Amino acid sequence: MNSRIEYWVKIPIGPIHPALEEPEKFIITLDGERIIHVDIKLGYNLRGLEWIAMRRNYIQLLYLVERICGICSFSHNHTYTRAVEEMAGIEVPERAEYIRAIIGELERIHSHLLNLGVVGHAIGYDTVLHLSWLARERVMDILEAIGGNRVNYAMNTIGGVRRDIEEKHKRMILDMIRYYREEVMPKVEEIFLYDPTVEARLRDAGVIPKRIALEYSAQGPTARGSGIKKDVRYNEQLGVYPELGIRPITPKEFTGVIKGDVFDRMVVRVGELWQSMEIIEKAFDQMPEDKIKTFSKDNVALAKLKKAEGAGIGRYEAPRGETIHYVRANPGTDGPAKWKAREPTFPNLFAVARALVGEQLADVPVAIASIDPCLSCTDRVAIIDSKTGKKKVLTEKDLLKASIEKTKEINPNIKAKPEPVGGICGGVRL
Amino acid sequence: MTPEELIKRIKERFEVEIYTSQTKTLHPRERIWIEVSRNDFKELMKYFQEIDPHAQFSIIIGEDRGDHLSATYHLELFCENSPSLSVAVITSCPKEDPKIPSLGDVFPSSVPYERENQEFLGIIFEGIPDPRRLFLPDDFPEGIYPLRLDEKGITPEMVKNAGHPYKIKKEGSK
Amino acid sequence: MNVLCTTVGLIAIYLYVSFVSLVWDGLDRRLVARMQRRVGPPLLQPFYDFLKLVSKESIIPRDSNKMFEASPILALAASITLLAYTPIGFGPILATKGDVLVFIYLLALIAFIRVIGAVSSGSPYAQIGAQREVIMLASREAPMMLGLFAILWRLAKLGVERPFSLETLYQHNIWEIGTPLTVVGSLVLLIVFVFWLASEIEVGYFNIPEAETEVAEGPMAEYSGRHLALFKLSNSLKEYASASLVVAMFFPWGLSQYLGISGIEAMLVDLVFHTIKVFMILFVSMSLFRAITGRLRVTQAVNLFWSRILSASIIGAILLVIDILGVIG
Repeated sequence: MNSRIEYWVKIPIGPIHPALEEPEKFIITLDGERIIHVDIKLGYNLRGLEWIAMRRNYIQLLYLVERICGICSFSHNHTYTRAVEEMAGIEVPERAEYIRAIIGELERIHSHLLNLGVVGHAIGYDTVLHLSWLARERVMDILEAIGGNRVNYAMNTIGGVRRDIEEKHKRMILDMIRYYREEVMPKVEEIFLYDPTVEARLRDAGVIPKRIALEYSAQGPTARGSGIKKDVRYNEQLGVYPELGIRPITPKEFTGVIKGDVFDRMVVRVGELWQSMEIIEKAFDQMPEDKIKTFSKDNVALAKLKKAEGAGIGRYEAPRGETIHYVRANPGTDGPAKWKAREPTFPNLFAVARALVGEQLADVPVAIASIDPCLSCTDRVAIIDSKTGKKKVLTEKDLLKASIEKTKEINPNIKAKPEPVGGICGGVRL
Repeated sequence: MTPEELIKRIKERFEVEIYTSQTKTLHPRERIWIEVSRNDFKELMKYFQEIDPHAQFSIIIGEDRGDHLSATYHLELFCENSPSLSVAVITSCPKEDPKIPSLGDVFPSSVPYERENQEFLGIIFEGIPDPRRLFLPDDFPEGIYPLRLDEKGITPEMVKNAGHPYKIKKEGSK
Repeated sequence: MNVLCTTVGLIAIYLYVSFVSLVWDGLDRRLVARMQRRVGPPLLQPFYDFLKLVSKESIIPRDSNKMFEASPILALAASITLLAYTPIGFGPILATKGDVLVFIYLLALIAFIRVIGAVSSGSPYAQIGAQREVIMLASREAPMMLGLFAILWRLAKLGVERPFSLETLYQHNIWEIGTPLTVVGSLVLLIVFVFWLASEIEVGYFNIPEAETEVAEGPMAEYSGRHLALFKLSNSLKEYASASLVVAMFFPWGLSQYLGISGIEAMLVDLVFHTIKVFMILFVSMSLFRAITGRLRVTQAVNLFWSRILSASIIGAILLVIDILGVIG
């Protein structure tokens, strides 16, 4: 009578859970504290973007695509413009390519610092969270000075960039890099490479072996942490990156050992921070004086795109991995026939779900936080819909009315009418 | 391996239409577009796996092209020093018989994309290991495929929004 | 008369300790925030939290049973009883022949009541949190009891009337013996007790049962409103009592002898001085620990206790025992 009785418990993590930044549902089947099976259900952040995209023109899509995600907004913008430029055969001036590289690397710095804090919070180490997000404020100030906004800085346009980087921005950026090199990076390295709590929690947690990473086509730091040397900027010879000396970074250069666990992914991110800073400095040295846009106005671009035909694919390395956009032209109209995007969290989620089998429950939030889930990017297809019958759907007018009434309780002198604000090339209506 | 060698090898074995496109950047990037019928499709994918076991599968783009549905698959094949090869494979199927063989055993990472296209376009992938819904909620009506442009798409009654930005009237009605 | 004095004293101590422990909570949050380069909440924040929680609605899950509502009240009752047996600058109010055993029993009872409350709430997160709490409870009792009894035995050899009462800690202290073996043994046991205190309060390395990001607050996942307020209050009282034990064992000196007062004023002065010492010990064991480290996995924490801390405790106890039996010198 030596049979072990196993009690399998099904635990949902999500949709709302303190460990997840965005809603998703993982249904985990447990035996004690050991995981047997992980199932993913997505769709909680569905906004209907592809359906909207079928009814917009190329320039409006620039703004729509940017708002897919807050942290990787520039990456989506960039990838979409590359797809459209490939489809229509548009050439981009060299200075614009350098500016795109600089802003892309600034965004990468801020996204990696955010992720370092999130992983620190997931292991209960709140001090890391507060200090790394404090360090991130410097990058956000610079991005605000250049782009006008802390997230969603609409820098790209079809055929170039919208705003130039002037001398004062260059001085601020070089100052920031010096500050990071001397004060922030030594502390970050001390925490993520040498601290005993971090090493005890992150080593051998959420291991993704190289075979599973290849089969499930993991992307970005998740794949590089498992030893696969691939990086879209290097493999695709994107834009002006080959002259800036980019190489994929694996943990072998820092610790010499590749195990594919959470610790290795954090090491890859720290390495990428160093590399981003070097790239920005080199880009400033090599940047030529040139114009920054091919078409002086957006209407000219639209007129040229109406005659384009064919399809284009754009790929770029977002902070989380490979982003890919596809655009197919509809000759004669000013909007595409089909636009589709895929961002890197989608395959990474499935890779980590497959790799979590056999681990402990305590490692689930750490493993999920380490792939840097950006689920607003993942749930971007389908439909504006109303669940017929049961719930009441609030239109934008209702929401505006409700919020104006609340303001009226505070200040009765407000005279506002619930009218949606519209514009020609304005934002997106949901 | 350069793109020309790959094209030659594929043309020897399969009956396909191949054309390449190039971008106009500082380092021009060539992409290979292959159109294949759905019968030869799975053989072609298995051949790609033989050429490069590290091939990375990126995306399945399903489209509604009027009278038939097409699916574009993008792959990336890695070579030693040269830039990787970017290959896009296009198959299509008629709307009356929307079946395409599934790649669940060749590329396990393609299963989520197949589930997504199954629920949004109505393409049925034969032999898929996991045919459940991925994104849409469970009480979404069957038979309505949101991304189709014909009668099976979204009907105007299901849309509730505040109005098109160009045509907005004073009260913000539809 | 005696019963009346004791009851009044108990109520007075309960009110004083709840006030002081909530003040310490606010101070702790402020200090940790300063260590993390933030500003932190106002000092009286725990009072506002408590009052607000009491005024909110308590939601009772559908799958819970009667013990769900009874557990917070039982936990608070056990904490108040615990206060009657803690050394607070002078001997405990209800000092009897064996009150050390009652003290240890009540500490374990409070943790046990939390586990019962968690299990009867019907949430899977609470079940996992309860499992972790039980494992941590079983691991931290052994080194603590070994150390405590070794010190009491050593002190009892100096001639006290009730060896198993916490009053002995105030009649003699462990440092006045002076032999090298005792000093070294006591230092080792001090380190063991600092870890035990961190594990009793559940901070830093040992913030495992109530891991907020992993199991959504563990045993407290389904509690809200009044019940949560009572649990939090009993937690604060337990913190104060555990820290009082450590202070009484290792730093029991009082001020009233030096100032030459006696009677009620002496008790008050001793009480305030004891509170200050408790704050300092809690600062080392709770605030610093929380700001410097993260959380361990439950297997690693249990390993830490059974392999390192238990062996340190055994070494400290053996050193004291050798001193008692007078084998060497």
